[in-house]
Amino acid sequence: MSRFSEVAQFVSAANRITDLDELRTLLDGFVRSLGFDYYALVHHAGMVHAHEKRVHLHDFPEDWESIIRERNYFCDDPVHVACQTSFVPFTWEDVPNMIALSPKQREMLAAAREAGLGNGFTVPIHIPGERIASCTFSIKNGRKIPNELLPMAQYMGCFAFEAARRVVESTPAKKPHLRRAPSPPRLTRRQLDCVVLAGQGKSDRDIAQILDIGYETAHQHMEDAKRKYGVATRMQLIVRTLFDNHIAFADLMPN
Amino acid sequence: MVDVVTAHNRHLYRDVIEQMHGDRKKIFVDQLKWDIPVVDGKYEMDQFDTDAAIYLMALDPARKRHMGSVRLLNSTGPHLLGDVFPYLCENGVPRGDDVWEITRLCTAPYRDVEPRPVRGRIATALCEFGLLYGINTYTCVAHIQWLSALLAVGWECEMLGEPRQVGNEVIGAMSITITAATLQMFRDRKKSRIPVLQLDHIAEAA
Repeated sequence: MSRFSEVAQFVSAANRITDLDELRTLLDGFVRSLGFDYYALVHHAGMVHAHEKRVHLHDFPEDWESIIRERNYFCDDPVHVACQTSFVPFTWEDVPNMIALSPKQREMLAAAREAGLGNGFTVPIHIPGERIASCTFSIKNGRKIPNELLPMAQYMGCFAFEAARRVVESTPAKKPHLRRAPSPPRLTRRQLDCVVLAGQGKSDRDIAQILDIGYETAHQHMEDAKRKYGVATRMQLIVRTLFDNHIAFADLMPN
Repeated sequence: MVDVVTAHNRHLYRDVIEQMHGDRKKIFVDQLKWDIPVVDGKYEMDQFDTDAAIYLMALDPARKRHMGSVRLLNSTGPHLLGDVFPYLCENGVPRGDDVWEITRLCTAPYRDVEPRPVRGRIATALCEFGLLYGINTYTCVAHIQWLSALLAVGWECEMLGEPRQVGNEVIGAMSITITAATLQMFRDRKKSRIPVLQLDHIAEAA
C-alpha cells in the first residue's frame, strides 16, 4: 500500500470517530508508523474563557506532564508562542530563530530534552475566531525527525485535529450559558482607522491631523471604541481589537 | 448577494470584473507574492480567465463594488489542477461535468470589508450553485496551511494526493463534496434560508 493510501485510510477513519478514545487508538498506531514517538493536539492557553471547549489530547510521557503542571509552563510554552508568528510548520530547532526566548522559555526547552523529548515538528492551526492551536509530533532524544514525511504529517495532523475538535464541539458543555464567548463589539470604519493609528503610537491630536478631522472628533472615536469594549485604556483597546482580528499586526508595523 | 458572472452576462459586470482583477493582484501578487501573470501592472489575470470561467461574485447591495469572488472552471476543460498540477493527484485528475475547480477565492483587501461574512456568503453561494447546476464535487489546489481552517468551516474535504513542497510552500490537491447537508449547515449557521445567489442577470442574458 502506498504511503498516501495509508494516510487516506487514517483520515477516513478519523472522520468517522465518535469519541476521543477512538482517536487516541488511531493516533497511537499511526504516529509511530510515520516515525514519531509522541503527538499533541492542543488549543493553546492564553486569554481564557474558562468554560470554552478546548482540544487537549496528547501522549507525552507522564513525567513531562507533571513537570509542566508543577512549574506552570502552560503560558510560557515557546512552541505555542512561535505558533503565533507562523502559519507554516516548524521544528523545535527553529524556535529560537522565530521568537526571542525568555529565560523561563529556555529552561522549558532544556527541561523537555531532559524529559526525553528530543525534538518536535509543530503544525500551527489558525482557525478564524478561535484561539490558536497546534498539532505536534515529537521524537525521543537521539532520534531524527523524518524530514521527507513532514508534508504528510502536516496533512494528517490537520485532519486529526479537526476530528478531535468535532468531538469536543459536539460534547455538551458543562455550563451551557458560558459556552460561547460573546461576539465581539463592532467598530465603525472611522473608529478602526483611529485604533490603527493609536496602535502606531499616535496621540489623538496626531490622529486628528492624519485623518484630517477635528481633535474632538478623533478623541470621541477613541472614547466610543473604548466604551464599546468596556475598557479604560488605549492599550487595552488595541490589544482587544487585535485579538478579535478587527485590526492586524501588519496594520501596526512601520512600512 | 452573490452574482453569477458568465461569458453571456459579463457585459453587465464590466466595472466589478475590473475591480476583481485589481483586487486579485493586490492579494495574490502584492500580499501573497505568488509568481503569476499581471496585466497592465495592476490586474491579475491568467490563461484560465477565459469565456469558460464562471465567477461567483459577492457584491455590495448596489452591485457596484467587488467584495469577494471565486473562479469556477469545469474539469473537462483547461484548469489549474489538470494543466499545471496534475502530479498532485495520486489517482488521476478527477474530471466530469459534475466536477468543477475552485480557484482565486478572495475577499476585497480593504479595511471596511469584513472578510468573514463575505467568505460565508461565497461559501453558501458555492453550495447553492453546486446543487442548482448538478455539481457534486469541487476540486482545488490548496496551501496545506489553510487546510485546518477549511475543515473547521465544515467542508467535506478529501486530499487527492500527497502534499508537495513547491517553492517555500506545501500545496496539495483537494476535493470538496457538495451535498444538501452542506448547504443546510451553512444556512443553519447563518440562521437564514434565503438564497444568496442572484440569478436574474443570468435570465436576462439568456
